[in-house]
Amino acid sequence: MSSDIPVRETYRLMPPGTDVIMYIVLIPFAALFLYGIYRRVRVYGIEWSELFRDFPTRMGNLVRYALLQRKVVREKTAGVMHLLIYSGIIALLIATTLVFIDYDILRNFNQSILRGQFYLFYEAIFDFMGLLLLAGLTILLYRRFIARERRLRWKDEYLLIFLGLFFLGITGYILEGLRLYIAPRPWGSWSFVGKAVSDLFAALSLDLGAALGTYRALWWAHAIVTFTMVALLPYSNLLHVLATFGNAYFSTLRDPNPGKMPTPFRIDQLDPETAEIKLGARSVDDLNWRQRLGLDACTDCGRCEAACPAFASGTPLSPRMIVQKLREEMWYSKDKMNGGARDLFAAGIIEEDEVWACTTCAACVEACPVLISPLEYILEMRRALTLEGKLDKRKTTMLTNLSRLYNPYGLPQHEREQFLQELRSMGVKTLAENPEAEYLYWIGCASSYDARSREIVRSMVKILQAAGVNFAILGEEELCTGDPARRIGEEGRFQELALTNIELFKNYNVRKILTHCPHCFNTFKNEYPDLGGSYTVIHHTQLIGELLKSGRIKPKRPLAEKLTLHDSCYLGRINGIIEEPRMIINSVAGEGFVEMQRIGRRSFCCGAGGANYWYEVKRENRESVIRLNEAMNTGASTMVVECPYCLQMFNDATRIVGAEEKIRLKDISEVVAETLE
Amino acid sequence: MVDIIVCLKQTVDVNQVRPHPETLEPQLGQAPRKISDFDLNALEEALRIKEKHGGRVVAVCVGHDIQQLLIREALAMGADEAYVVSDPMLERADGLVTAEVLAALIRKVGRWDLILCGEASLDESAYQTGPRLAEIFNIPHITYAVRVELEDSGVKVWKAMEGGIHVVKASLPAVLAVGLEINTPRLPSLLMIRAASKKPIHEVKLSELGLSEEQLTPAVETLQVKALKVERRRITLEGEPEELAQKLAEILVQEGLVKK
Repeated sequence: MSSDIPVRETYRLMPPGTDVIMYIVLIPFAALFLYGIYRRVRVYGIEWSELFRDFPTRMGNLVRYALLQRKVVREKTAGVMHLLIYSGIIALLIATTLVFIDYDILRNFNQSILRGQFYLFYEAIFDFMGLLLLAGLTILLYRRFIARERRLRWKDEYLLIFLGLFFLGITGYILEGLRLYIAPRPWGSWSFVGKAVSDLFAALSLDLGAALGTYRALWWAHAIVTFTMVALLPYSNLLHVLATFGNAYFSTLRDPNPGKMPTPFRIDQLDPETAEIKLGARSVDDLNWRQRLGLDACTDCGRCEAACPAFASGTPLSPRMIVQKLREEMWYSKDKMNGGARDLFAAGIIEEDEVWACTTCAACVEACPVLISPLEYILEMRRALTLEGKLDKRKTTMLTNLSRLYNPYGLPQHEREQFLQELRSMGVKTLAENPEAEYLYWIGCASSYDARSREIVRSMVKILQAAGVNFAILGEEELCTGDPARRIGEEGRFQELALTNIELFKNYNVRKILTHCPHCFNTFKNEYPDLGGSYTVIHHTQLIGELLKSGRIKPKRPLAEKLTLHDSCYLGRINGIIEEPRMIINSVAGEGFVEMQRIGRRSFCCGAGGANYWYEVKRENRESVIRLNEAMNTGASTMVVECPYCLQMFNDATRIVGAEEKIRLKDISEVVAETLE
Repeated sequence: MVDIIVCLKQTVDVNQVRPHPETLEPQLGQAPRKISDFDLNALEEALRIKEKHGGRVVAVCVGHDIQQLLIREALAMGADEAYVVSDPMLERADGLVTAEVLAALIRKVGRWDLILCGEASLDESAYQTGPRLAEIFNIPHITYAVRVELEDSGVKVWKAMEGGIHVVKASLPAVLAVGLEINTPRLPSLLMIRAASKKPIHEVKLSELGLSEEQLTPAVETLQVKALKVERRRITLEGEPEELAQKLAEILVQEGLVKK
């Protein structure tokens, strides 16, 4: 080979036979890697028949969320860091693969690709990509030791992974530098970092013999560290590299909407003689294979924890720890020595209050960069706890109220008689009286039984009547939707209520349901279809928005208040209704509209969701207080909400912090109704 | 291993009983029924003893209109089987008759070590049945139990009295009457209630129990039950706080509620 043409000189400074020795050394590492992968796949128990279903959608998710990391880069520092390390490593992998093709394959046919112009670019580009890796690792150090981000958890394993990557990056350049120092090439400056390092050795006038010895030792060290990291990949946090691809690919097996819980059975189709009485997850063995695979995709990044309102309120819950603990238990239980999967609660792996503290707000699902749903695991565990029925007094009472009184408040049906009478005097008809009504206006339990929340109904009735909307209510026939039962894990009672409601809707031929409660809205819209009830479900923000747009209602005077808006989780994040409330507020706000820091899909829960309104969990702070302070920091005089439970939670919060005089709370319908007068 | 009998009473859900607007009599027929709260505590306690020591839990229930679904709820909570006597004659049963019928039914169940009851019932609050059962069987009874521990020689019970807690022991067999504070009864999920239809419910006829006319005659006769009707006067006072206090004081004196 002529030395005039630039060419990659693989093993140039290594003794002859190194290539063979290297492959022999590689064998045990490769075997360890392959065995690890085999064991992981066995643990998941992937249903291979599932492999190619929904292929195009799945590949789309894989490319979007795993390959291109669309969600990873939503955060600036962490996103850039990961992108740098990720692209650096992938580039180096490609570089090595090209060498393998060039040396181990093409050379046997007297061919070569790493020569000439292409080789020069190869050197320059991959020298640059190595720098990206080092830059990413520098940001990692910054986040860990200077910014000290709270959500970053320390494990010795993580330090080793960092040191491994850092070692590979640095030794790569040192090897290149030594090579160019020992055997300079005219095209050496294309490897601009390596050339700089070799210039440094030249300046130090390093002994050539010592340089060669160092080169050979370092070459092996570089190889062994690489092999080790590959071999340990399936046994460490590095596994996320592969598991996230699997998780993104199979994510279509989970409903993309975190507001829709899976329906494991139909109570009306269950044969009590044969049905297996099993529900939810008490051990990792109760999880399905996709859920087990999902656990391995967790990289312990902590974004879910940082977004979690229950964590921020000092409850025992961290969604990250839920996933991490389940992941550890999955690994532990599959070790034959340990005698199988344990009862998560009896073994003290998960504390019951961790599971109960969750408000099902789905902030963790939104935050997870790799499409894991910590919420999914939490809800499965709740189902298992509730199946057994050993719940505390308040949860038991709420469920008993639902069974006996058909509302979670535990108030007898006749408590709302007077209110219904009042609505009747306003001219509101029931479906029985007005069967031709376009909308069933579903009042919901909060506004049926809670005095403050009844104001929402009064405002809505004014708006609907002003716009001439033909609507009717169910009156005394209205029951709970079943949402609190389902969210607490009592699938049977949920379905009992839902099926009763569906039957009633069928009798009245209900097609469109209007509701001002985001929880009722979500349940009707996303969960009733599984039980045979499909309707056009519309939230009052949507209808009011339409009425304003079409001019069917016209604000007469703007509101002399500065407004801010709290996005309800089940409306904004979970059902994507974000624009409508803003459009409404902008059309009525007289003294401006100021946004809080966390809005829309990133909104922060009031603390009531997932049936949390009905029981207590030990805590240091309250979600509602944290959020109320955020609203007050905007300088707004009124905090507008879209949910009767948010309204009640923030009402309590104003009393807790003594801010009743500082900020008013109004439902969005109240704000609009006021401007109509 | 202990075999436990738990006595359950089905009552109306008192929170849902409304008085008739004119006669003021409780409209019992309209209100839904439930298992008396205290009895659920007794059942829960029995199940906890079973979980710890093993054994069998049998629910017994007597009354005039026993609902199967409520019995199944008890089975879903974990009772192994149930014995039921449902007879219209028992509508007027008092503590005396109830205890006689329960005792006769319990004799049909077979072997047992312990009977658990609620200390009173949700609807009548008469505190009779437990102690009367013990008298019939001529065995010890402990009432107002708030904590129960099984020992080799018998049972140790923490008994809530006005002055404090008395800790007492009794040999087995015995009757215990438990209070609401003893535990939070588990709530069977609907799935469990469905599955409990596999467990046996033995329906026994009242006539099969061989009870005499006398044993079935209540000692207490209820003449009338009426709701209290309190009419509010709706007096509104207006003025400064000092004036208001003066006016209020005058009214209270005038009504004879406060003596001058």
